[in-house]
Amino acid sequence: MEFLDLTIRELHNELLKKTVTPLDLVKEAILRAKADNNNAFEYIMEKEALDLAIKLKEPEADNIFWGIPFVIKDNFSTKDVPTTASSNILNGYVPVFDATVVRKLMDAKAIPIAKTTLDELAMGGSGTTGHLGTTFNPYDKQHENIIGGSSCGSAASVAASIVPFALGSDTGDSVRKPASYAGLVGFKPTWGRISRLGLFPFATSLDHVGYFTRSVFDAALLLNLLAGRDLEDSTSSDVPVDDYTKLLNTDIKGVKIAIIKEIVDSIYDKSINAAFQKTIASLKIRGAKVEYVSIDRKLLGALFPTYVVISCAEATSNNANLDGIKFGPYHQGNTYEEVMNKARSKGFSELIKRRFVIGSFCLMRENQEVLFLRAQKVRKMIVEKVNDIFKDYDAIFLPASPTTAPKLGEASDRLSDEYLIADNHMVVGNFGGFPSITLPLGFKKNLPFGGNLTAKPFNEAKLLQIANVIEDITGFYNLSVRNKKI
Amino acid sequence: MKEINKIVLKDAAKRLLFDMSEEEYDTLLNEFDVVIKQMELIGQIEGVDDYEPMTFPFDCATKYLRDDIPTKPLSKEEALRNAKNKSAGQIKLPKVVG
Amino acid sequence: MNFEAVIGLEIHVEMKTRSKMFSSAPVEFGAEANTLVSPNDIAFPGTMPTVNKQAVINAIRVANALHMSIDNTLVFDRKNYFYSDLPKGYQITQNMRPIGREGYLEIKTDTLRTIAIERLHLEEDTCKQLHFSEYTLLDYNRSGVPLIEIVSKPDIRSGEEAMKYVEAIRSIVIYADVSDGKMEEGSLRCDVNISLRPIGIEKLGTKVEIKNLNSIANIQKAIDFEIRRQEGLLLTGNPIIQETRRFDEALKETITMRVKTDAVDYKYFIEPNISPINLSSDFINAAIASCPELAQVKEKRYLEVQGLSERDANIILQSKDLSKYYDDAAKHTNHFKSLANWVTGEVMAYLNKRNIPIENFFISPSQLGLLVNMIEKNEISNKQGRDIFQEMITNATTVKEAKEKLKIGTQINDDNVILTYVKDILDAFPDSIKDYKDGKDRAVGFLVGQVMKRSQGKVNPGLTSKLLLEELKKR
Repeated sequence: MEFLDLTIRELHNELLKKTVTPLDLVKEAILRAKADNNNAFEYIMEKEALDLAIKLKEPEADNIFWGIPFVIKDNFSTKDVPTTASSNILNGYVPVFDATVVRKLMDAKAIPIAKTTLDELAMGGSGTTGHLGTTFNPYDKQHENIIGGSSCGSAASVAASIVPFALGSDTGDSVRKPASYAGLVGFKPTWGRISRLGLFPFATSLDHVGYFTRSVFDAALLLNLLAGRDLEDSTSSDVPVDDYTKLLNTDIKGVKIAIIKEIVDSIYDKSINAAFQKTIASLKIRGAKVEYVSIDRKLLGALFPTYVVISCAEATSNNANLDGIKFGPYHQGNTYEEVMNKARSKGFSELIKRRFVIGSFCLMRENQEVLFLRAQKVRKMIVEKVNDIFKDYDAIFLPASPTTAPKLGEASDRLSDEYLIADNHMVVGNFGGFPSITLPLGFKKNLPFGGNLTAKPFNEAKLLQIANVIEDITGFYNLSVRNKKI
Repeated sequence: MKEINKIVLKDAAKRLLFDMSEEEYDTLLNEFDVVIKQMELIGQIEGVDDYEPMTFPFDCATKYLRDDIPTKPLSKEEALRNAKNKSAGQIKLPKVVG
Repeated sequence: MNFEAVIGLEIHVEMKTRSKMFSSAPVEFGAEANTLVSPNDIAFPGTMPTVNKQAVINAIRVANALHMSIDNTLVFDRKNYFYSDLPKGYQITQNMRPIGREGYLEIKTDTLRTIAIERLHLEEDTCKQLHFSEYTLLDYNRSGVPLIEIVSKPDIRSGEEAMKYVEAIRSIVIYADVSDGKMEEGSLRCDVNISLRPIGIEKLGTKVEIKNLNSIANIQKAIDFEIRRQEGLLLTGNPIIQETRRFDEALKETITMRVKTDAVDYKYFIEPNISPINLSSDFINAAIASCPELAQVKEKRYLEVQGLSERDANIILQSKDLSKYYDDAAKHTNHFKSLANWVTGEVMAYLNKRNIPIENFFISPSQLGLLVNMIEKNEISNKQGRDIFQEMITNATTVKEAKEKLKIGTQINDDNVILTYVKDILDAFPDSIKDYKDGKDRAVGFLVGQVMKRSQGKVNPGLTSKLLLEELKKR
């Protein structure tokens, strides 16, 4: 059956024509999920999904998500469905409420079929640190290459055509980086555009709900559904929700695109550079003005440590509720400290503990000024600089990653001396809450790589317009392991 | 800034209520080394301390305040469902002193 | 060497809003454990705080009553620490920008003193712990209840002043309709910070903290004891240990709870889950205007405008509900002193005897006002008034109904009419005239009684007495 290889929009048409039913789709998706050997799943919601699918009889013409199966990164709260954030400290935790985005999708009759793996507590970028081990890249059957993270399972599910879209979260590039390694559209909107209620927080001021699709149009459709003020999320925006498909397929004459010279200069891969330049040339032909801008190298070099300090500090606090007392595995002890200590010592991995110590250290009274607060100052500097660029340009376009998916073992979550500007620039999208999208740009040795487009806050329609043109230029529409166009 | 050594790190871990092995502390010391070096470089960026620390990605100030209307709470069963150590409708802990 | 006590108080006030500070779970007292819990209050992953408007309004009311400047942007901070009663592993509070700053409170002991108040801020309560010998139970009903914390500058100098200060704060939060202010129930909590220094020296001594005080009287006793204890140590050259102590009611002494090590580092940072909230001046002014009248304002009116005695004013102000009753009744009569007499006398006697709260008192304020007016206009006598009062509460009637039922006509105040009765009675009881002339004053009472009887109780007894005496002199 090829229906799951379609995009949301195409699949909706098939459902309307009744060439396929939601039950057919769900059954097939679950089959594929069970057959998946990339270690993408924490929990397959077989019974739950079938129960929902059986009830859907009459397709709704004006509801594009009716009957569409999807998967959810396991750091979103799902009522009555186990949720672990891929951490042992949450083994056995079954939430009593749904995340807002899950609720919105289910109200629209979309059908969740599984919870996907992630780097533990979303704190990673390799897809290797979850408690079930490494999630692999469907593009590499030898399982030598990672898919990146932290939204590894969601990326793998969409790249393998198990479902046409998947929920993820993006705190430092956790949707947009794996999207590059897996040849997908990976999108996160402006901070606060989509409610974070029910998303387990990693670093609150950097966290975004994001998702994977196989077309820009699908990404726009999802945004139409998920965007909007949620009174239960005090940071969700009341900026009116647009129709994010309105500028799609319109021409981009006069659109101004900036390229940050120092970032491109730090990318050495010839294939990636060639594809990138080719895309730029085509954009120019379509009428866009594409120009190089400059950001002080020192400032760019500060991106990664600034991210480490802010995210570790906030994460330490955000995960202080994980103590085995209210939920998660409980360990006997003589005092409440012992009970908490055992739960946290056994439940957190080595990597997570190290991150928490770093975060805690940055917040200590004696250190806050030169570590946490200074990192927040750098954040301000960077965001101001990028906002300056957006005064004159509609978007910033860059390669999403300096390489294709790294080999397992090559990627390490240990902080190393070699911060790669090229590897971490997308965190700018989190610092300033800028809407940002990765989409496929090309292939090298059968592994995909992507380009990343970023616009100023609440300018998603413009961003998607330009992204749509790029998709048209590259022809990489609905790319998956089954549909690959190498 | 506090000096970074195993004693300080062990104390920090203790306050975070978890234990780490000796090897982990060694790895952590190396990581700290990197972070601190990087933060020192940041300190050299001209004008950085002239900026205000930024908590939110942009100005997101609002007027909204929630009306004081109670909503249906969780049932006792839902609230305690995930707790493993319970007694008489409450969560149970070893005797808390001090 | 003479020492002076340098005392600062930290008061936590539990607010009686309908929902919690950062979640919409209900706030109720005495509910079954863990039945007032939202996912937020038990810190399930992915939950987020939302700010309670009424809690903010309440904080503004109190800050205003304390003459504080009010910040027009609401920003919250996280106070990070681990404890069994703290589900999130941090408390949302206001460290950097408290909503109220730099105010004061006047208290009266034998002098009038101004106590400076440093800050007033919003935060959330922890869950409740029930301790048994081998284990502790956690009830999350209280987790997230809105709190106001008020921190004074160390201007207080004695246990008595501390008591007055707490009483004044309690009065404000009760009358502002913000809290029940009951220390025994925990809706008002007070921590004391106290050190001693030689008079004339600016340097502060070692500070001792006293916690878990459960009544205002105990605050004074604890402070008085602690001053003596510290004085004793200092005079004998012993150091004061920096520690936290509690007050033992039975021993009437403060006792060590735990010795303080380094000050805890709470690693405060701005709460990123709550966007800053702009409070317009309209909002702030409306919050201030919404505050019910405070006791201090009422007292001024009672003493200076209505001419009530201090005693009556104090009794009425003892209870917010009683003062409300009095104020409502005072809208229906100008005879304030008489009204106060009735409220502090007959009404309170009845309420105390039956153990009924004033909210359940049958006679409405307007009816009481009507009754007082009738007495003061001499339409009925005081005794008749009391009879009507009893009839009303016994048989649930109005003033009019009771008066009719008891056949209390309008009192006779006409001198001529009364004189006719008087003359008749004097004619009928010549022996009594003789008794009076012989110096037996009791005869007057007897004769007045006869006039009352003859007139079916309608004559004004005072007038009757006066006219009788005049007539007796003539005979």
